[in-house]
Amino acid sequence: MLHRCTRAIRALLVVLATGWALTPASGQAPSPGTAATTLPRTADGRPDLQGTWSNATITPIDRPEGAPPVYTEAQARRLERGYADRVERLAQPSDPNRTAPPQGGDGSTGAAGNVGGYNNFWVDPGDRVAVVNGQYRTSLIVDPPNGRVPALTDAGRRKAAARAEQFRTRGGEYDHPEFRPLAERCLMSFGSNAGPPMLPNYFYNNNYQIVQTKDHVMILAEMVHDVRIIRMNATAHPPAHIRPWMGDSIGRWEGDTLVVETTNFHPLQVFRGASDTLKVIERFTRVDADTIVYRFTIDDLDTWVAPWGGEVPFRRTDEQVFEYACHEGNYALANILSGARAQEREAATKKQNR
Amino acid sequence: MRRTMLLVCAGVLAVAGVRVAAHHAFGAEFDPNAPVRLQGKIVRLEWVNPHTWIHMEITKGDAKEVWAVEGGTPNTLLRRGLTRDTLTIGTEIIVDGYQTKDHSLKRANGRDVTFTDGRKIFMGSSGTGAPRDGRDPTETTKKPGGR
Amino acid sequence: MRSALGGLIAGMLSGAVLMSLGIGAEPGLAQQSAATAIPRTAAGRPDLNGLWQALNTANYDIQAHTARPAMAMRPGPVVPIPARDVIALGAIGAVPSGTGVVVGDELPYLPEALAQKKKNQESWLTLDPEIKCYLPGVPRANYMPFPFQIFQSDTAFFMAYEYAGAVRNVFLSNPGPAPVDSWMGQSWGRWDGDTFVVESSGFNDQTWFDRSGNHHSEQMTVVERYTMTDRDHIQYEATITDPKVFSRPWTMRMPLYRHVNAEARLGQFKCVEFVEELMFGQYRKVPAR
Repeated sequence: MLHRCTRAIRALLVVLATGWALTPASGQAPSPGTAATTLPRTADGRPDLQGTWSNATITPIDRPEGAPPVYTEAQARRLERGYADRVERLAQPSDPNRTAPPQGGDGSTGAAGNVGGYNNFWVDPGDRVAVVNGQYRTSLIVDPPNGRVPALTDAGRRKAAARAEQFRTRGGEYDHPEFRPLAERCLMSFGSNAGPPMLPNYFYNNNYQIVQTKDHVMILAEMVHDVRIIRMNATAHPPAHIRPWMGDSIGRWEGDTLVVETTNFHPLQVFRGASDTLKVIERFTRVDADTIVYRFTIDDLDTWVAPWGGEVPFRRTDEQVFEYACHEGNYALANILSGARAQEREAATKKQNR
Repeated sequence: MRRTMLLVCAGVLAVAGVRVAAHHAFGAEFDPNAPVRLQGKIVRLEWVNPHTWIHMEITKGDAKEVWAVEGGTPNTLLRRGLTRDTLTIGTEIIVDGYQTKDHSLKRANGRDVTFTDGRKIFMGSSGTGAPRDGRDPTETTKKPGGR
Repeated sequence: MRSALGGLIAGMLSGAVLMSLGIGAEPGLAQQSAATAIPRTAAGRPDLNGLWQALNTANYDIQAHTARPAMAMRPGPVVPIPARDVIALGAIGAVPSGTGVVVGDELPYLPEALAQKKKNQESWLTLDPEIKCYLPGVPRANYMPFPFQIFQSDTAFFMAYEYAGAVRNVFLSNPGPAPVDSWMGQSWGRWDGDTFVVESSGFNDQTWFDRSGNHHSEQMTVVERYTMTDRDHIQYEATITDPKVFSRPWTMRMPLYRHVNAEARLGQFKCVEFVEELMFGQYRKVPAR
């Protein structure tokens, strides 16, 4: 049984590796009579990527320890049912006579409950396993085939250590607004919604709107109303010292796949410890009326020993992208900073009164 | 069978772990040593991002206090067909949570926010008590017409 | 479907009317050639794709105004002088003159709303949402001193603003009432001949029309008209209706100019970071000196 199982997994890995190694046909104009022509196209004959899309999924970015590359359909359904059951369970009425929650927290994790948490009805993390090429994926990362980020280079390791040291010595994590995460400052979303790469955040608002014109592709990420403008067929990125948030993106068509290359990332937008030589390559292929397969490659040989990447299904949605005016309602950041100051004052007073 | 369950369990736990890491630090704003239970009528709703705020008036002895309770993003609720008017001013609610670290502020996170009968507020628009999970065919989402 | 010629004639006629009114005068309309003709989409609509910007001082004051030393003033020994908070800016903090963009130059405020405008002006530094890098609302976003980019396809019309990364998705059919109030409102648009007409509602009451304290309530609705007069110009009109603030609707009008430089690109002005010291500096462990 074990032998058959490992043989099956190895076979799956080969299939997966082969699938990843395939490169899309380049420079070909769309040809009539193929299956691709049944997909919607814009006036200039290109695949139409427009609309509203969601990349929410329960499949994590990194492969869990011990998981194979794909689930069976039965396993995927069981996972999804588990999620639905959890949602239902957390929706049940509470005891109206309940007291205040326990001192020190209730030990739960995730968005539901506990200190700073809230009811599960606020979140919408996705309810489906990611399906790509008919496979129920156990991770979004598929390159390398083990579904995990490759090792750091020596330089990457040194940089990570230097960052950790700086973090340790610069002062308390609540000393200044600049020490808080970008999302808490309402500068970018948590996770990497706009990126690139454009990844789900496993909480909510994983929605995007794509508009396609002759010269540009515009991608709006709901959080934080971030607009990526991809310049089609441009020939050069800006000089190295020009570093906007979300970098600078140049796009071109390779057959029916939109290929986007992004460099010049903002110095504060450090994707998983990447260096300033980071280049992200994205490939958008509309595979059916309701799905764009989004493949991303992280190319930063200063930081990782090899390029790596993954595949994320973006599913069409009839839902609207709503305004996410974050900064305008950001009481939380003020509360966090004033809270730290209040606690310091309390501690100082206690010390004085001893 | 056992291996399947193991893999499934690993998947669920891994995702739950990812979720905790991905969101902002939950413990940053609120004080684990200051649990509260609030009961009172809603006086104001701030339907804003990044967090909705429900303002409620509680009675403390002879005095009245207005507390602000932090929730999640309203965008999730809008997609379920809920609007700000779904929860009306004057509705009595029960909140349990933790006060902000700054105790001079009457603010707390809405760890669990319910009506006085214990039902969660802001459930699915069909009122079945369950959020939209695709299993209730009568539940619809308000969709803007065309684009 | 209007013919290209019909569109040209309409453009010239509207240009002629505007020239006679002295508003948005565009010289040489009668000599429109292929080089300056209105670009059209495959469906025959005027193609508004591109980078646009208003060239006026409406963001200071949408009504006619003369130049003055600063937005925030205080009594001086002889004449009013700039407030302490802005004095170091010198001439950079001064206010340029403008002929105004409001048709008739009158804002029909109800008495209470006019009093609020005066309060807004007196406390400009603490009340103007632009200072805190809050989303600018409509129509102010269109005449901020920053460009915006229109993305127009057969199925979408989207506006991306450089200022604060504000965005407006314009639905191409009426989605019904907005389910929630927002800073940039909810917009839907349709073609009226060669004019793109956008109706917006569902605004909160937090945005201003300019730095001069002109404001609105959550009842405001806006109807905009975008008419390309030639390849590089849009004649832009916005009619404001807000029965809680104004006794009648009123209209503003201005040209929008295309950035014709081939290298022109929408820049990025994510200013939230720039106002952190202003808004959160007081909470630092050790305040900045």
